[in-house]
Amino acid sequence: MERIDQIKKEFFEHASQVSMPEQLENLRVRFLGRKGKVTEAFSLIKDIAPEIRPRFGSGLNQLKKELEAHYEELKQRLEDSAENEDMLDVTLPGRKTFPGRKHPLLKIADEIKDIFHSFGFTIEDGPEIETDHYNFEALNIPKSHPARAMQDTLYITEDVVLRTHTSPVQIRVMEERKPPIRMIAPGRVYRRDTPDATHSPFFHQVEGLVVGESVTFADLKGVIQAFAHRMFGKDARVRFRPSFFPFTEPSAEYDVWFNGRWMEISGAGMVHPNVFRAVGIDPGKFSGYAFGMGIDRVAMLKYDIRDIRLFFDNDMRFLRQF
Amino acid sequence: MKISYNWLKEYLDIDLSPEDLAEQITNAGLEVEEIITTVQAVNNVVVGKILSCEKHPDADKLSVCQVSDGKDTYQVICGAPNVAAGQSIPFAMVGAKLPVGLKIKKAKIRGVESMGMICSREELALEEHSEGIWALEDAPEAGTDFNEVLRQKSDVIFDLFITANRADCFSHIGIAREIAAFVGKEVRLPQFALKEESSRGIEQALSVKIEYKEGCPRYAARVIENVTVGPSPDWLVERLEAVGLRSINNIVDITNYVLYELGQPLHAFDYDTIEGAEIVVKGSKSGDTFVTLDDKERKLPENTVMICDAKKPVAIGGIMGGQNSEVSAETKTVLLESAYFDPRHIITSSRQLGLMTDASQRFEKGTDYAGVLFALDRAAALIAELGNGQVLQGCIDIYPEPIKETRVKLDLSRVNKILGSGLSDKEITELLSRVHLHYTNGEVTVPSYRHDIKQDIDLIEEVARLKNYDNLPTSVMEPLSLEQPVRNRELSYQAMRDALTRTGLQEVFTNSMISARQIIRFEEKEAVRILNPISDDLAYMRQSLFSGLLPVVSYNLNRHQKMIPIFEIGRIFNQNGGELPEQPTRVALALCGLRAPFNWAQKEEPVDFFDLKGILEDFFNEIHLDKVEFILYSDSSFYRKHHAAEIRINGKTAGTCGEVNKETRKRFGINQPVFGAELDFELIEKNMKRELKYQTIPRFPYIEKDVAFVVDKTMAAEELMGMIRKYGGRLLSDLHIFDIYEGEKIAAGKKSIAFRLRFQSLERTLKDSEVEQVFRKIIKKAESIHGIPIRDQ
Repeated sequence: MERIDQIKKEFFEHASQVSMPEQLENLRVRFLGRKGKVTEAFSLIKDIAPEIRPRFGSGLNQLKKELEAHYEELKQRLEDSAENEDMLDVTLPGRKTFPGRKHPLLKIADEIKDIFHSFGFTIEDGPEIETDHYNFEALNIPKSHPARAMQDTLYITEDVVLRTHTSPVQIRVMEERKPPIRMIAPGRVYRRDTPDATHSPFFHQVEGLVVGESVTFADLKGVIQAFAHRMFGKDARVRFRPSFFPFTEPSAEYDVWFNGRWMEISGAGMVHPNVFRAVGIDPGKFSGYAFGMGIDRVAMLKYDIRDIRLFFDNDMRFLRQF
Repeated sequence: MKISYNWLKEYLDIDLSPEDLAEQITNAGLEVEEIITTVQAVNNVVVGKILSCEKHPDADKLSVCQVSDGKDTYQVICGAPNVAAGQSIPFAMVGAKLPVGLKIKKAKIRGVESMGMICSREELALEEHSEGIWALEDAPEAGTDFNEVLRQKSDVIFDLFITANRADCFSHIGIAREIAAFVGKEVRLPQFALKEESSRGIEQALSVKIEYKEGCPRYAARVIENVTVGPSPDWLVERLEAVGLRSINNIVDITNYVLYELGQPLHAFDYDTIEGAEIVVKGSKSGDTFVTLDDKERKLPENTVMICDAKKPVAIGGIMGGQNSEVSAETKTVLLESAYFDPRHIITSSRQLGLMTDASQRFEKGTDYAGVLFALDRAAALIAELGNGQVLQGCIDIYPEPIKETRVKLDLSRVNKILGSGLSDKEITELLSRVHLHYTNGEVTVPSYRHDIKQDIDLIEEVARLKNYDNLPTSVMEPLSLEQPVRNRELSYQAMRDALTRTGLQEVFTNSMISARQIIRFEEKEAVRILNPISDDLAYMRQSLFSGLLPVVSYNLNRHQKMIPIFEIGRIFNQNGGELPEQPTRVALALCGLRAPFNWAQKEEPVDFFDLKGILEDFFNEIHLDKVEFILYSDSSFYRKHHAAEIRINGKTAGTCGEVNKETRKRFGINQPVFGAELDFELIEKNMKRELKYQTIPRFPYIEKDVAFVVDKTMAAEELMGMIRKYGGRLLSDLHIFDIYEGEKIAAGKKSIAFRLRFQSLERTLKDSEVEQVFRKIIKKAESIHGIPIRDQ
């Protein structure tokens, strides 16, 4: 029995010295390991006088439990102190992820599409290289029309052009479907303009068209007003001015009051009866409105960009700002 | 077009400030692009009187003048050739600061003292360039503050953008009419008295024939004799300068003046150059040429309206006069033409000739066919007055088929139906009458100058315009019907962009017009070429998005960007022999530079093919597209040989991916590896899974086994994987490659591919023994059937 007390004493002496994980491991091996002192003591049981054997056995078991418990406690204490002592430099920058972003111009296009989609407009698409018929003739711009100066249009052949506006999509949709129609068509358009800060030979528009049995100019004003509120905030005011487009009448330009001044957004108007006739819709029965807006223009206003070319240089330092 | 505020006031009483007037003009639908104030105030400048003027003793070109400011006399040196004693002039005294930035100081010029300056219009910022000093007509007395003189000259110029439909607004009368309609006033036409003082009748001097009435429905003329051609008076010069025209001589100036006053282009011929006392209006034949008054010989398109005399053409009708009949300083008799030319003829000829003039721009939009004689008489009276000529009695007016007044039917209820307004009939007709559109019995008569009003909608627009758009009601749309079609294309487009940005790619947006050098194509199809490109750099339409992406890579590398992962979705264009070129949409990506942003915790490593492929696999995964295969692609015209793959979706070619070959990237100035892929948008869209269905998640434990096979280096891993899957059967749920080894430890020309196989069942816990059986089978079959050994450990 003295042996038990001695092992215990020895164990606690050693245990009090333990401050590192290796020392703890040594302690375990020395006392609780396969060849440790406790295991060794167990092997002595068979040599002990039978009368004290049970007492020795239970004493030894108790010792083992006690030492193991103390060992676990020491281990826990060591781990805790290790976790608390290892100091992380939290000021180091984190590992970077690199999620991509959408192009700023297309983000604005998405916003415009979302707004009109929520108004119940479908989203349509049409070719960028168009026939003269869709780009001009069907839109009430005959060959002899003054609005058709050669220098504005890029030609592929005499009868095929790079579309100068998204309006041809109106014609294609009206040919394909019967009213009621409520659509927008975003896309790229081309003009023969030399690039500078405010001009690009290609730019982007959203065309809108609504045709029904009692669509009015008042509805057009309403939809533009609603759009302006959603796009530019509830303080955005809209101003309509008379203008001229061969494919709408009455025609209007509309400006939005944004950042303290009137910004011209684009044109709109009631679909011209000649356009309806060209697609076989009876202008006596149906009426409609159409509008267009420059996506590039809206994006420049919203982001305060003064040079349209920034959109198409695709400088990563520019693109990553949005 | 420029409109002068002062000039406008001759026809209309305006009590609006220039800014308020601009607002009215805008409301009328005429865009005010700029408002320019012509005169700047001056100080220390007075009206001076030149008492004497003598030659400078030491300089031929200088004069020494004694100038009075009404109190004192100053000695002033002047270099202008037109300076003379007795003149009243703008006198800038010592201390004056002129609007052009000049400060007047006491000076000594060639030894003679000068105490001020005699000014020209240029020095007072009234014109760009002056030939001499400004000798005032009807000057106030010497000593008057010169600002008083300037105030009379002060004007505000409105630079207007006039839309193509409003030909009637290309004149001061036209603009005055518009403003009058908005402010509720009446326009005053110019008042003049035409005296026919010549003893001759015009029939003695001229006969006119129209042989081409399609091109020239009306031709009128007058003749004025004993004319003195010379400079125009100040008021006329000022009027023309205000609208941006240069004074030439009194005759030409008068025709221009009437053009800007009434909108009717006129032409003055030197009568003595007209042979046979005859004017014949003809259509040109092909091959004819003519020298216009700008001394250019022009090839005439067929059916150009030509004004001819008995022998030769003398003018291109409605476009430009001829050099052979131009009014010159020697002209004694003027033949004045006022005509109405057919707009279509003018627009066609003007385009074909490449010649646009003040006259052609008005005729092509339609002039006032009823106003031909008024303008003719107005100009003739001015020539008689300012050129001291005598007008021959009578005028010639050939008008074979008078144009009928336009009448347009109008159903008044349609006005409110289109505008969504509740205007009364009375208000509608009242609004229309403000612009002289008079409604009676369902019909409106249209003034001769309004070519834009042809049908009821044109009248409805007039009502809206006169009511002011902002005063018309605004309504909110009705809820939509349920039958609106859903557009899958837009949804797919958004899904693809979302997926691509999630994989770490930055979206770019590039020009679709490219140079010949930028052409990249994957199919043998001809590029679409632009007939009239802006420049050679923008002469073709792209046939691959790479034509835009590679320049973006290059642009960013040149700006020291280290990580360039980009994508774009857009159309490409190929000739295909159809009416329109084919214009399919493509999805393309490019990778260049580092794999991850520069950072202490990550190694700086360049991207490689498997970054590209990983992105593509993730992309397909994100949009729920399976059945995608990558197969070695051996066309090396764009990709590096053996470093590219064809991508198949459901067995159909959907695009390619790989490392761009050196030759191509060098062409775009890129000196490091670039990886790219281009895919067919439509094909992807067609195969995208839109309806997703739940798949059971396995509940039972799995067993994993590793094995490495040694194969020929050239063998595709995909082939080996196919084999393992085949023998693995239903129990094999997953298969991964975790190591590739080539080197000393195995035979030359061989590689080892290590796989981890996962066995799992959705129905039950698998037994070790059955997994072991399948695993052994795979190894055995590989060896016995395919001759593929496992790698010895």
